[in-house]
Amino acid sequence: MKREDFLLEIRTEEIPAPALPAAREDLGRGIGEALSDEGLAAESILSYATPRRLVVWARNVPERQADREAEVLGPPASAAFDPSGKPTRAAEGFARAQKVEVSDLVVVESARGKTVAVRRMVPGRPAPDVLAEIVPRAVGALSFPKTMRWGEGERSFVRPVRGVLALYGKSVVPVEVMGMRAGNSTVGHRVLAEGEIPVLAPTEYFPKLRGAYVEPDGAARRAAILESARRLASQVGGRVDADSDLAAALADLVEWPGLVRGSFDPEFLELPEEITTTAMRVHQKVLPVRGPDGLLPYFIAVMDNAADRRGFIAKGNEWVLNARLADARFFFREDSRETLESRLPELERLNFQDRLGSYAAKTARLEELAAAIAEAVGRRDLVGDVRVAAKLSKADLTSRMVREFTDLQGVMGGIYARAEGQPESVWKAVYDHYRPHGQGDDPPRDDAGAVLSLADRFDTLAGLFRLEMLPTGSRDPYGLRRAAAGAVAIAVARRWRVDWSAIVKKALSLYPADLPGMQPERAVDALQEFFGERLRNAIERAGSSYDEASAVLAVGRWDFADAAERAAALTEARRRLDFRSLVLAFKRIRNIVEGETGADPSPGLYREEAERALAADFLQARALLDELVKGRRYAEALETIASIAPSLDRFFVEVLVNAPEEDLRRNRHALLAAIRREFTKIADFSEIVVEK
Amino acid sequence: MLTLQRLIADLSAFWESEGCLIEQPYDLPVGAGTMHPATFLRVLGPEPWRCAYVQPSRRPADGRYGQNPFRLAKHLQLQVVLKPSPENVQQMYLASLERLGIVAAEHDIRFEEDNWESPTLGAWGVGWQVVMDGMEITQFTYFQQAGGVDLAPISAEITYGLERIAMFLNKVDSIYDVPWTETIAYGAVRRLEEEELSKYYFEVADVELAALLLDRSEAEAKRALAAGLVIPAYEATLTCSHQFNVLDARGAVSATERVGLIRRVRDLACACARAYLASRGGEPSPVTEPEPAAAV
Repeated sequence: MKREDFLLEIRTEEIPAPALPAAREDLGRGIGEALSDEGLAAESILSYATPRRLVVWARNVPERQADREAEVLGPPASAAFDPSGKPTRAAEGFARAQKVEVSDLVVVESARGKTVAVRRMVPGRPAPDVLAEIVPRAVGALSFPKTMRWGEGERSFVRPVRGVLALYGKSVVPVEVMGMRAGNSTVGHRVLAEGEIPVLAPTEYFPKLRGAYVEPDGAARRAAILESARRLASQVGGRVDADSDLAAALADLVEWPGLVRGSFDPEFLELPEEITTTAMRVHQKVLPVRGPDGLLPYFIAVMDNAADRRGFIAKGNEWVLNARLADARFFFREDSRETLESRLPELERLNFQDRLGSYAAKTARLEELAAAIAEAVGRRDLVGDVRVAAKLSKADLTSRMVREFTDLQGVMGGIYARAEGQPESVWKAVYDHYRPHGQGDDPPRDDAGAVLSLADRFDTLAGLFRLEMLPTGSRDPYGLRRAAAGAVAIAVARRWRVDWSAIVKKALSLYPADLPGMQPERAVDALQEFFGERLRNAIERAGSSYDEASAVLAVGRWDFADAAERAAALTEARRRLDFRSLVLAFKRIRNIVEGETGADPSPGLYREEAERALAADFLQARALLDELVKGRRYAEALETIASIAPSLDRFFVEVLVNAPEEDLRRNRHALLAAIRREFTKIADFSEIVVEK
Repeated sequence: MLTLQRLIADLSAFWESEGCLIEQPYDLPVGAGTMHPATFLRVLGPEPWRCAYVQPSRRPADGRYGQNPFRLAKHLQLQVVLKPSPENVQQMYLASLERLGIVAAEHDIRFEEDNWESPTLGAWGVGWQVVMDGMEITQFTYFQQAGGVDLAPISAEITYGLERIAMFLNKVDSIYDVPWTETIAYGAVRRLEEEELSKYYFEVADVELAALLLDRSEAEAKRALAAGLVIPAYEATLTCSHQFNVLDARGAVSATERVGLIRRVRDLACACARAYLASRGGEPSPVTEPEPAAAV
């Protein structure tokens, strides 16, 4: 069949950069799936996005759907034909309604039993007609964090839609998207290109768009930014930080990335580097340039323009950055007149959360909790330092610097603490205690920072769970999911073997007893569930499958690091060893002894050879296993467990578990229960999915 | 040199040519041009409306004793309201910059997400800050709700920060060096006012009086509403809002009180919006032409 490309471009006013990647992917997938569902599967689907357009390119879409046979059901066969097989009035009426002869009726099996039906060929529809239905549905299915209305206020989308191009081969697909009729023209860059650009076929689109200063491919824009940035930096003897996040964000703010280098007053290099780079990266959205010995007084700005023809863009950015840095220096000097200690009384007036009191109260809790955590992780020697760090940790929230540059919370406290002569473990703990900020971010650099970060996270989670202010759906105003995921990440990275439920209980106990909401016992259960989900995510991200994570979590989830190690060992072992028969055996054991807490089996009651063999293997493996599990040598432990599979298989083949003699039956159950108890300390194998 | 007064004259002339009625500043202290009834009330209801005006915007807590080169207790906004939002509204905005001598192709002009919300007005909108060569020069908002009322049609609101733009176009390092005229600097006109307003709002303003004015204005707004008088009720609401800002600058609003005070002002603003819609009840309002009478 003949095939043609389909091209869709939805032109909008500037879509927020953070929403762009998901919108691009979702629209491409939506169109691709809808085409497949309609029997018009494309050979490939490519999707692109700029701030001002979403583009889907479906390659080689069949020209029309295949014809298909459709069945229209009528009355039951028993009502349509009399016992002699003659058609009744019901059959005649149905045939008339369907405009066929009675002789054309057939009898088919349906959900209602034997039923009269008409079969007819339904001709496949041409691709453009189907596309005209698919496109508005796929666009309507896009979801955005925030939508808006415009004009008469009838439609809602992420930003106003201003034009649509929809081509199947050379023909315009007759479709309307958000009130805009599709055509066969596009527009180029807002200020670098003028007028409408006719597009006569999908393959023409991309070269024409690039000719009009629009690069539709975000990855190409990002690569161009990084490459030019490196070049501009090396011209002044520096390099740009390999910060692909900022480059990606910038790539989604422009249609045609041009780069320009500017400089700032070198006297600002006296400021702590964190301040200068935050002013550049976060506030000004430009890339810092680094030389062999630290920052250079240059920056690289991405502009939505091909060139800075008259130097206005570099000058403007220089002017604004110098002003920001002058502001920052003013705040920094003002702040330095006070010590963190002298700021503490101000925390009384700074609310952490309405019901949970001030940051002064939070700080007092953090001191206790951080001390408890330091003990729990075996760093009693750090108790003094983490108490001091906890006390000072929130003081920077009252500084002018943090009020203006909120991203620097913690960091500024650390810088001020360092300047005040606090020991390294204290200032670093304050500096790092908001880390990791999100998935993929580095955890605190050392133990004291990790302890303080954990204390802060457990405290926040405990308080808000007590108030039952839990995240729902996409709403997580207090960032609790991130807080818990960060705690898991820290514990795993530090390989700290701690039963965190004890710390959670302690955190809950530090709040007043009369808070409204859930009681502490219920909060512990809710938090176990909540942390379990974050731990599962961490385990799955590390490469384990869903069922492996389930198997590991089923036998213990409050020691995050241990669970992560058990999962890693299990996933690795399954690559080497055949677990299939072991898993099936353990599923069988679970079904037999579920809920039984047996006494130990007694050797005197073994009757069968297979039974004795299994018991012997079990006893031998158990002794070894105890050692291995204690030493957390999970890979070897799993090998040992796997080695029992043949004797288990033989046992189930040769031995009748539910023997008629009660004592024998009980003893066999006891043996299986003991195996289940002893061999599922690493993972509950019955949770693993295998093919029967 | 582009003087501040030339800037105002040029922008006003441009928007006049786009069919805007040129309003005058409201004669009460307000925190932003949005609070002018020409925006807050006119965005309600179905009638087309195009209007532009300068509004001195008073934010006591932003005062810096005339010392900070960027912050002012009172700054000037040039506010444009276009209802319904025209299809080419972004092009219109770029044309307004061109009127100031800014050739877009010689600059980096970006529309970066920035949504706007005024809890005291029960109003919010979606839009961008317009960033030119790294500087935020304009707030661009599609009004979605005002006074708790979902809007249809939707108004586009364009707010130029006049001092910022003037600083930027003249490349001066302080607001006070902005040329107001060819020979007179912004500082000569306004520095004394900034010094005194800052001192007053931070150190002198009578907290009890501000609290009393807030309470009494709230009662007055309710009385005016009961008498069916929307504009006086709204004016009393604006006074509540300003006195709240005065209390805030004096550090007299605790975090817990803040929520309650904001809610009280919002309740009044919402009541005014509803009363305005009801009082309008099908009466035609003075309407500007939805399209410019004469093409530019």
